[in-house]
Amino acid sequence: MNLEEYISSGLIESCVLGLASPEELEEFEKMCASHEVVREARKRFELSLEMQLLESTAKPPVELKERVLNGLENSGLKPSRGNHAPKAQALTPLPGSVWLRYAAAACLVLLLGSTGLNIYFFTQYKAYIFKYDQLLGSQTQMLQASQAMQTKLGDYQASLDLMRDPSMTVVKMPGTAPHPGSLTTVYWDSRSKDVYLLINQLPQPAADKQYQLWALVDGRPVDAGVFDLDSPSLVKMKNIPLAQAFAVTLEKRGGSNKPTMEAMYVMGKVAG
Amino acid sequence: MSIPATYSEEQLVLALKNRDRQAFGYLYDHYSAALYTIIRQILRDPDRSDDVLQEVFTNIWRKIETYDPEKGRIFTWMLNIARNASIDTLRSKDFRQARQNQELSETVDFRMESRAVQPNFDHIGLRKALEGLRPEYREVIELAYYKGYTHEEIADSAKIPLGTVKTRIRSALIQLRAHLRQT
Repeated sequence: MNLEEYISSGLIESCVLGLASPEELEEFEKMCASHEVVREARKRFELSLEMQLLESTAKPPVELKERVLNGLENSGLKPSRGNHAPKAQALTPLPGSVWLRYAAAACLVLLLGSTGLNIYFFTQYKAYIFKYDQLLGSQTQMLQASQAMQTKLGDYQASLDLMRDPSMTVVKMPGTAPHPGSLTTVYWDSRSKDVYLLINQLPQPAADKQYQLWALVDGRPVDAGVFDLDSPSLVKMKNIPLAQAFAVTLEKRGGSNKPTMEAMYVMGKVAG
Repeated sequence: MSIPATYSEEQLVLALKNRDRQAFGYLYDHYSAALYTIIRQILRDPDRSDDVLQEVFTNIWRKIETYDPEKGRIFTWMLNIARNASIDTLRSKDFRQARQNQELSETVDFRMESRAVQPNFDHIGLRKALEGLRPEYREVIELAYYKGYTHEEIADSAKIPLGTVKTRIRSALIQLRAHLRQT
């Protein structure tokens, strides 16, 4: 393609209007650089295009000019006279973007810190929950033990009060001949006729057996109730209005109607 | 300080590269209507055209250092910035969605009424020169210049060979040159 053909091919116009391919544009720039006639053809087309477009009567809204000019301050380039270093300007980021970048970095640091603290606090929290459970357990145990102690103490207090009562008739019941080590004591309220038994010493009975207290009224045995050995203090028995003596026999569990005389462990006479 | 009423192209470029705001004001007064026309003809949306015109002048101000007078006139350089910005907007997702919504709702735009005194953008500037072209030439210029389609895209959509697209565009441009105002 000679120069004339190139000039009249439409390539110049397509390059000026931005419709050419990169290869065509590159060739066009070479042609312009080396051929005055191509440059002139380009300038002719540019000028006629410019004339065509500049005759436009469609002006943008009046207020837009102020917006555009004010926008320049915000575009990051301070308008001033004199030479500028374009590279430095190109490398200067927008103030907004610098601020945003720092803010983003700060946010990231805060996030990491917060995550770390969260992990730390969660670990601490788990440890404290464990310790709290332990404490709760031991506190419950102590409370139970304390309640048991109080119950026992109340029992002892009540027993002691009964024993201390001056109106109590005390009947010591030593062991019979086959059971010399055994001993129980009856505390018999002379006013209410209530009977309380203190087990000083009795052998542990078989599981199906239970001790039974008897009152001897005019030579006749009267049932005063059964008892177990695990009671630590006075055991309240049946009310006995009148008796000359008390005895304990070992009977089948639940007690008998008549005492088994061979299994009598202790006996004591009421004084007076 | 004297205020020149007009600048020669060399004076203007020099002043702009020195970040002369007065020269920039002159640039705006002198060229904004022509650039605005192209933007409106591509976008067909008054509000977005305002935004794009502002963007274009901001870019001119920021990129003036990269303008090389050896490669063409400053108007050509600005015209390409305006056309590229418009086509980028035209092809942006939010613009296409907004356009679709507008077409669907058919709402009355009161701002449009206030602009009714403006000339019809279809019959001024480059479009006016295109009116003298044969329909198939007008069509390829419409697709290539105003819609920003590549030659391949035009060949695909119009179902004509790529080579035909290229020759048709060049022929159209040769015709266009004859219809432009002659200096």
